[in-house]
Amino acid sequence: MKSSLGTLAAILFCAAPAWAHHSFAAEFDATRCSDITGVLTKVAYENPHSYVWVDVKDASGKPVSNTFQLSSPSNLKRGGATYGVLNGSVGKEVLVRGCASRNGEANRYAASFIKLPDATIQRVGQDVEGIFGTKIWR
Amino acid sequence: MRTHLGLIVSAAVALSAAGAAQDKQQAPDKKFVDARGNVKPVPLPPGGAAPRMSDGHVDLSGVWFAGPTGKANAWSVVPDQPLKEEPVPFQPAAAAKMNAMTRTERELNSPGVRCQPVGTPGMWTINPYPHQIVMKPGLFVHLIESDNAWSVVHTDARPHKKADDLEPLYNGDQTAHWEGDTLVIDTISLDERTWINQSGWFHSDQVHVIERLRRPSMNYLEYQYTVEDAKVLTKPWTSAWRTYSLGKEDLTENFCTNNENVEQLEKLRDAGPGK
Repeated sequence: MKSSLGTLAAILFCAAPAWAHHSFAAEFDATRCSDITGVLTKVAYENPHSYVWVDVKDASGKPVSNTFQLSSPSNLKRGGATYGVLNGSVGKEVLVRGCASRNGEANRYAASFIKLPDATIQRVGQDVEGIFGTKIWR
Repeated sequence: MRTHLGLIVSAAVALSAAGAAQDKQQAPDKKFVDARGNVKPVPLPPGGAAPRMSDGHVDLSGVWFAGPTGKANAWSVVPDQPLKEEPVPFQPAAAAKMNAMTRTERELNSPGVRCQPVGTPGMWTINPYPHQIVMKPGLFVHLIESDNAWSVVHTDARPHKKADDLEPLYNGDQTAHWEGDTLVIDTISLDERTWINQSGWFHSDQVHVIERLRRPSMNYLEYQYTVEDAKVLTKPWTSAWRTYSLGKEDLTENFCTNNENVEQLEKLRDAGPGK
């Protein structure tokens, strides 16, 4: 889809400093988001994005690995999702709010929050659905 | 210069307006997720007069976050307010080039997405993370979290390097001087691989960037930039002033070492038109 002048203007006038370094909307679909529950198996606390992997049982009970892209360590640690908090949940059941990849890759999502084993809801990404009270589409 | 009181009033009005607009969008029974990490923006007070260095000039030193809260605002529960700025006066060919890019191509062409140096003025306009400024009389040191980048600029109004000594650089050839309490940083010889901001605004080898920094009070820093580019723009363009506020945190290490986004976006591009 060719970008319109309106889109360009919107990008130019956006309050730039709060941007992430790239657009969520280019890579993930904010209309295909769901809650996914499974066992947290691995955490990669790296830039420009961190990742977590969650095993979800399929219909036959076999665990299938799902990949979730999170925000950057800079945003995560300042929001309370420190390296220790995420790694401390490995091997335990979590619920992740994830929006599907636009390129069709199966089981790949961008996450906006993780519900940790202690029931804490931890923010880990942009509010692309407006579920936190904002509607940020970048 | 904006007064301290004016700054706070402006911020309060903006937040109030944002809240009202948000209320209108909310369904009466809408329940939002209360997550740890959400930021409810509370502007810092002015904090008194800006400090000064031994030479009498304003000291811009500090760790600075975009916005008025003195901390990271990436997960603010109040939407950003658009800046009021004049449209960028692109030459028709430049506008056509930018508009020809699909959203995916814009991402793939972006220095930020490819973890390339963000350069000048990208250290301010593309870096989404906090800044640290360290100053002493005659010297301005700018550190950012994005890929642990830095620039060092003399503030003694020295001339740019001679033409034969110039080379394309991500941060360019920089010199600075004071205009009253405003530090003016003048940059030429920028590498054409950098963008002016994340929108896809490319520049030519003739680009000239003039950045202005001022500290109206202890807790606030303001930034503005002007771009002159005879090959891309029809006339110079100057941004609105952007507000930053004084943080109490250190910068954190932020090397870009695990970039999967390029590979993912290339799959999307290869999926064909419409993506």
